[in-house]
Amino acid sequence: MSVTVDVTRLWLDRFRGIAELDLELGHGLTVFVGANGQGKTTLLEAVSWVARCRSFRGVPDQVLVQAGHEQAVVRAEVRHDQRTMLFEAEIKSNGRNRVMLNKSAVSRRRDLQDLLRVSVFAPDDLELVKGGPAFRRVYLDELLGSLAARYDAAAMDYERILKHRNALLRSNSVDASYASTLEVFDEQLINAGSELVRGRLQLLGKLEGELREAYASLASTDTSVECTYESGWSTDALDGSEDIETLRSQLREALHRLRSKERERKLTLVGPHRDDLEIKLGGLGARHYASQGEQRTLALSLRLAGHRVITDLTGSTPVLLLDDVFSELDESRAAALVEWLPHGQTFLTTTGVLPASVTPELTLRIENGKVCQ
Amino acid sequence: MSVYTEPLQALIDELNRLPGIGPKSAQRIAFHLLKIPKEDAARLAESIVVAKDRVHWCRVCFNVCDSDTCQFCADDGRDGRVVCVVEEARDIVAIERSGAFKGRYHVLQGAISPIEGIGPEQLRVRELVKRLEDDAITELILATNPNVEGDATASYLARLIKPIGVRVTRLASGLPQGGDLEFADEVTLGHALEGRREL
Repeated sequence: MSVTVDVTRLWLDRFRGIAELDLELGHGLTVFVGANGQGKTTLLEAVSWVARCRSFRGVPDQVLVQAGHEQAVVRAEVRHDQRTMLFEAEIKSNGRNRVMLNKSAVSRRRDLQDLLRVSVFAPDDLELVKGGPAFRRVYLDELLGSLAARYDAAAMDYERILKHRNALLRSNSVDASYASTLEVFDEQLINAGSELVRGRLQLLGKLEGELREAYASLASTDTSVECTYESGWSTDALDGSEDIETLRSQLREALHRLRSKERERKLTLVGPHRDDLEIKLGGLGARHYASQGEQRTLALSLRLAGHRVITDLTGSTPVLLLDDVFSELDESRAAALVEWLPHGQTFLTTTGVLPASVTPELTLRIENGKVCQ
Repeated sequence: MSVYTEPLQALIDELNRLPGIGPKSAQRIAFHLLKIPKEDAARLAESIVVAKDRVHWCRVCFNVCDSDTCQFCADDGRDGRVVCVVEEARDIVAIERSGAFKGRYHVLQGAISPIEGIGPEQLRVRELVKRLEDDAITELILATNPNVEGDATASYLARLIKPIGVRVTRLASGLPQGGDLEFADEVTLGHALEGRREL
């Protein structure tokens, strides 16, 4: 049985369009209703900022501070079974943000992450299915990073090693040490890269079943859903059964094969930074063959599957934030979603009427940055 | 287009070129310097010139010193067979504070970083190899930083030097002693577990 984590109260001050707000929240499903531009998504953004120390909309922090002010403040009271914690974030328009837990400063983002996790679905997530491989790599790496710090570190190291290696390939160096320096970065790339790939494959093994189940429930169909990890460097299809040595040697061989081509193109041509997660629906690639409706449902299913895996592996249910999710789904899929919602706390925004079968624990109407009872 | 009078702007620009000092800090320091008594400013300028004049790189290990060789290279009581390789002279201070090392040092004056155009040729690697050929060195301890650049530098040196027949070791990365396990971050803990030793 997983631990429940609930945001029980939320205070905002000068956060985006919301001048001041004090909101009591409860367990289960809370729905924020309102027209466009009233501040519904802003509420989700504030909750996710406290958990992740960044916006899920990928905007710089200055954007979050109401124009003409120096800082925005978000405070959240979080209940973790019997424990109550106070998260406070001061987001500065200029300068360092300050984050506090129970009134004492927090220096590492991870310390908060382990106490409050959020799973977010936003309309942009359609890109998870429709967009290029980078979106799916980020999806996998974010999930991995929130599960274990070592994968966060591996992903960060990998990115840095890749930059060094590309700089080396671009440098046209005639130094005697060039070849052996390149070999050193090859080894580093292989070590960090295989660690990252092993993590992605293990995660994928857990995700696939959840994805299948989520999609089947939402779409009420028995169309098959398959995920495969596509890499340009492995000789065989990777399914997660490989040990780290196998991954290392395959990546090493690929780098050797491409040595001259890489020097010509002055770029690292293989590795986890070019891999993809291919999703097939009824045997056909979802990125190109699925209908828009199928893609939307699949994107939502990916987020819900990630949510389930995190719940399962960490033993606590993240707060689920669903932004404008009903506009993506027809009536029957919307009803199926609500049916399927996990036991934890869910915040959902919508512009319109709810499907008849949906009975939220709490409905709040948001107008002009305020709650109208 | 400069808002400040020319000499002030020149000072700000110079300060801004220093590591870790951005435009805002440069402005703040410049205005501070304008406010302090003239003799204080002269003393600062003087100390920069004197340091620049009198401080050299040790001829053997490239530590900072004010004579031909540094205090560690000149000390006969130290074990010349073991050499600890560090990135910067300031790393020596940290190792000395531990009191656990009685050998000599070699300062690379940086780490391999292709992004910044720094390769082995830009570091004191050639001089290190020369020392290995000339002196009776039996062990090299690579104490470069535990990050991507430091690790790359250590692997490069290991590949280069092992064939010469010198023992090469890397500083263990792990838990800070006296540190509480609960406060060690997971990555460090992971490394400490991987590098665990028989007792």
